[in-house]
Amino acid sequence: MKGSSVTVKPPLYQRLFSVWYRHMRVYTKNLIANGLPPFLEPLIFLVAIGLGLGRYITDMKGMPYLPFLATGILVTTAMFTASFECTYGTFIRLEFDKAYDGMISAPITVNNLFTGEILWAGTKGFFFTFSVLAIVSAFGILSIKTSALAPVVGFITGAMFASLSLFITSFVKDINQFNFYFTGFLSPMFFFSGVVFSIDTLPKTMQWIAEIFPLTHSVRIVRAVCFQDYGRVLLYDLAYIVAVTLLCAFFAIKRLKRRLVA
Amino acid sequence: MHYIHAIMTVNGEAKIIEARGVYKSYGSVKAVRGISFTLSKATCLGFLGPNGAGKTTMMNLVYGMAERDHAPESMLRVFGYDPAKNELEIKYLSGVVPQENNLDVELNVMKNLLIYSKFYGIGKTETKTRIETLLAFMELSDKKKAKIKELSGGMKRRLIIARALLNNPRLLILDEPTTGLDPQVRHLIWNKIRQLKSNGTTILLTTHYMEEAFQIADKIIIMNQGEKIIEGNPKRLLEKHMERYVLEVRNKQRFGLIEDAAPKIVRKDKSSESMLLYSDDSDLLVKLTERLNPGDYFHRETNLEDLFLKLTGRELNEG
Repeated sequence: MKGSSVTVKPPLYQRLFSVWYRHMRVYTKNLIANGLPPFLEPLIFLVAIGLGLGRYITDMKGMPYLPFLATGILVTTAMFTASFECTYGTFIRLEFDKAYDGMISAPITVNNLFTGEILWAGTKGFFFTFSVLAIVSAFGILSIKTSALAPVVGFITGAMFASLSLFITSFVKDINQFNFYFTGFLSPMFFFSGVVFSIDTLPKTMQWIAEIFPLTHSVRIVRAVCFQDYGRVLLYDLAYIVAVTLLCAFFAIKRLKRRLVA
Repeated sequence: MHYIHAIMTVNGEAKIIEARGVYKSYGSVKAVRGISFTLSKATCLGFLGPNGAGKTTMMNLVYGMAERDHAPESMLRVFGYDPAKNELEIKYLSGVVPQENNLDVELNVMKNLLIYSKFYGIGKTETKTRIETLLAFMELSDKKKAKIKELSGGMKRRLIIARALLNNPRLLILDEPTTGLDPQVRHLIWNKIRQLKSNGTTILLTTHYMEEAFQIADKIIIMNQGEKIIEGNPKRLLEKHMERYVLEVRNKQRFGLIEDAAPKIVRKDKSSESMLLYSDDSDLLVKLTERLNPGDYFHRETNLEDLFLKLTGRELNEG
């Protein structure tokens, strides 16, 4: 055995890919049940608010209301799908299914495990942003050609909310506690991040709060990408997203590691 | 690429695991207290002990699922690697059957194995043949397309063992592999483990079943409250530490009578509910039975369970 036996550990990309692959296979097994709600929800919202309320709004920040709302919806779908994945999904894998215990007895580290999971949530963000974009461009609300980069924004939005949600999950002991996160944080953010209306008209203090919300930065970037209206503020937005993602991922993994490997 | 560094050899035997003075505490709970052992290639070591004795923690320490305490004299090497530093290398060479089933219920039998093959970077065609071979080995070939929900407890367990064998592991870690299974399945699993062992796989096992340890372990370690109580070959331990026969007296009214009648050389273990009389001389015990009605007693050979209870006590250990 000595000397003659060659051993390798799987390279990093493969370790991350195998986590990603596992999640993809499990998720796509019930693609209709899993994928239809996050796909339909934003469209229903768009139709109800855009067509209903939109008739009374001639323009929003100098653009027609429907495209304004549609661009916002592109990233909220990424936000919600990644958040569900890394709150309820993660908690169930962690506490009920014990899926992680099995996965980390294979040659991956806890670090690889959650990094792979964040990449998977990002991928879901990409996919759902793309799907919603495809539909809204079919109706002529946005142009898929000029908005081709929007799914990439969906990816980084997904990754950011995956990290943030993992961080929240690392504190959660009872699955019902996620209600606070969804009703107390994600829902208000949905309304005060410039998705439904521009935050510029809000009182100053509200604007400051909106700037703290991670979603605000995703919304600004996706709108810039869809309308090809780039400005220097986007660099700040991107930096903010990267910082939130890395910081949350760092502390989330550190804390979750203590729950998995002690 | 890099090579397994120096696997220690003692008397020409390759040591797969070397543990010396390993400690692990969770807060104020000392789960593992100064455990030392070695595990030679192609042998089976079984950890026995009551619930909470620290068996699972010891397994977890071996493949990096738990981090051992820092202690100056402490040492743990698996394939020559320190789990605290080289968990990936160790996991790459090992297969793990956890205590709790954790199959992916969304996927069928074959896909459960397929997703795990990715973790080891096994190629597509290789994966296919390996899955076929392993399902045949664990006698699950006709369940290839079955949903996890449709499997019995024994089938799930066999599937998890198959999953742990995907990478042709050199070390197979089995945490209570047959708990809660029927005798047929248990015997099947024991046969498979023996087969693996004879093909050179090293086995690390935890169990509550004395029978299981007797059937497959070359060496057992009995643990209690984190400490090693005794270590050795199960048959020899029994010979050395236990009388050959035992008489279990069940009729409480007769306890006093039997106690007085039993010769001094018969060892007595009496609690409020039972009385056990041990002796190497069967005739001595048979003679005592003459004072009892047929349903009052059970006369049999001692087994590992008696040794286990002798060492760990009859009281519940759940504190």
